[in-house]
Amino acid sequence: MMREVAIIGVGMIPFGRRDEDSLMDLLAYASMKALDDAGLGDKSVNAVYVGNMGAGIIQHQTSIASSLVDRLSLLPAAADVVENGPASGGSAVKNGLLAVASGYYDTVLVVGGEKMREITGWRATDFVATMTHPEVEYPYGITLPGMAGMFTRLYMEKYGVTREHLLAVTLKNQEMGALNPYAHVEMTLDREGIFDSSHAVVNNPIAADPLHLYDLCPVSDGAAAVILCPLEMAKKKVKTPVLIAGFGQATDTHTLQERDDPTDLKAVTLASKQALEMAKLTPQDIDVAELHDAFTILEIAESEHVGFFKKGEGGKAAVTGKTRLGGQIPINISGGLKARGHPVGATGVAQVVDIVFQLRHELPENRQVKNAKTGLTVNFGGFGNNVVSFVLKRVEP
Amino acid sequence: MKKEIPIIAYKCKKCGRIHYPFHDRCLECKNREFEKIKPQGNVKLLTFSAIYNLPWGFDQRFLILGVVEFENKVKAMGQIKSDSIENLKIGMKMQPTWEPVRTQAGEDVYGLKFVPIH
Repeated sequence: MMREVAIIGVGMIPFGRRDEDSLMDLLAYASMKALDDAGLGDKSVNAVYVGNMGAGIIQHQTSIASSLVDRLSLLPAAADVVENGPASGGSAVKNGLLAVASGYYDTVLVVGGEKMREITGWRATDFVATMTHPEVEYPYGITLPGMAGMFTRLYMEKYGVTREHLLAVTLKNQEMGALNPYAHVEMTLDREGIFDSSHAVVNNPIAADPLHLYDLCPVSDGAAAVILCPLEMAKKKVKTPVLIAGFGQATDTHTLQERDDPTDLKAVTLASKQALEMAKLTPQDIDVAELHDAFTILEIAESEHVGFFKKGEGGKAAVTGKTRLGGQIPINISGGLKARGHPVGATGVAQVVDIVFQLRHELPENRQVKNAKTGLTVNFGGFGNNVVSFVLKRVEP
Repeated sequence: MKKEIPIIAYKCKKCGRIHYPFHDRCLECKNREFEKIKPQGNVKLLTFSAIYNLPWGFDQRFLILGVVEFENKVKAMGQIKSDSIENLKIGMKMQPTWEPVRTQAGEDVYGLKFVPIH
C-alpha cells in the first residue's frame, strides 16, 4: 500500500536575470526557503532530487545534486539530478513523490533550477533545441518556438484559433505577472501597444510565424523547491499541508512529423487524466490550474486537452474571461511561464509551488482564488513528447 | 547537378505504418521487421513557420521550415526555399532537393530543402 504524500514546505526566488548568482546559489536559496517553510531549518532530509536540464551544457558543471547537498549541509542524504527537458521539474517532484509514497524515504527535498541568461540568446535557443531529434529535426535549425509556430498554424486552421485569442492569454498573464513578486516580467501590456497600432509591428514583431514576440515566454534564471513527507507526518508538522492527490506522466513521438494528428497533444490528455483519476476528481472539480504556457497557444490547447473546455473552445474561453481570476477556471494566476518566466528545470516545481500558495490561501486578494481547495499542473516537456501533471488538494487544518 | 535524396524510411512489414526516422519496433504494432523505402515524388506542405530567433550556427535573418508529406506518405521536416512566407500555403506542392542546410566545423551539412511549385 502506497502512502499518501503531502507538501509541507515551499520556496521560490524571484525569476529573471540574476547575474550576481550562480546556478548553485539559485538552487540553494530556493531550497533554504523551503526547508525553513517546513520548519526544517536545522534538520536534514533523507533525499534530494534536483530538476535541471542544462548545467552540463550551460555551466559546464555536472553532478549538481552532489554539490547542492554539500553546500546545504544535507550530507549524507541521497541526491540525484533529474533531467527531462522542460519537464525536469515535474519529473523531479514525481521522483520525490514516489520515494516517499513507497515508504523508502520520509523527508525529501525537491528543487528545480536553471540559469539560462549567462549565455547569449543565440546559444540559449540552440541549448533548448538540443531536445529535438538530432538527425531529422535539429540540423535544419528548428527551434521550440518554430515547432510552436507550426503547431499554431495547424491549430488555427483546424479549430479557428485567432491572434485575438492568443492576445487574451498574453494580456491576462502579463497582468497577473505584474502582481507576482517572483515573476520575471513584472510589466502589464496594453492591446494597442502590441496588437492593433502601427507601433505593434515594432513592439511585437513576428518571432515564429504566426507567433509574435509576446506569444513566447522569456528566457529566465530561477529556482523553486518543495519539501515532501507522508501525509500523516505532515499533519503533525504544519498547519496546512497540501496533499499530492494525483500524478500522471505520458509520452508521445519524439518528432512532430510522426504524429497522426499533430494538433492532438496526447501526452497532455493522458497525463492529466491519470492525475485526475488518481485524485478521484474531474476537470470541473479543479479550482485553479497552472498550465505550461511556454507559448500562448499552449495555454489554450492544454486547457482543452485537460478537459476544462471542449476542443476549439479554449481560445474563446480566454477572450471571454473564463480563465481569469474569478472566472470558470482561473489559469496561470502566477502569470504562467509567459510572465513568471521559464528557467526550464525550475518550471515544473514552480507550478507546484504556485498551486501550494493558492491552496494555503496565503496570496493577496488580487491573486487569490477564493476558497481554492484543488489545483492542477501541466508541465510540458519537449514539444509535448513528455508531460507531467499533478493534482493537489488542500488539507483542512 | 541534382543530388539524389539519400533518406531511408521504414515501412512496417506487418501493418504498413511508415516510419521516419528509424524505430526498433513499429510505433503501431511493435513489429520489428521493416521494408526500407525511399521517399518518392514531390511533397505536400503540411505545416510551416518562419523563425526569426535563430539558434547558434545560423548566420541569417530568418529561416523558413516546414513539415511535408512525400507522394508515398513519408513525412519529413526540412527548410523551405522562399523569400517570403506570404507565398506559402498548407497543402501546396513543393519539389524536394538535397542541399547544404547548415555548416558545422566549416563543413556543409546536407539535408532536405523544398522548392515551392507555383
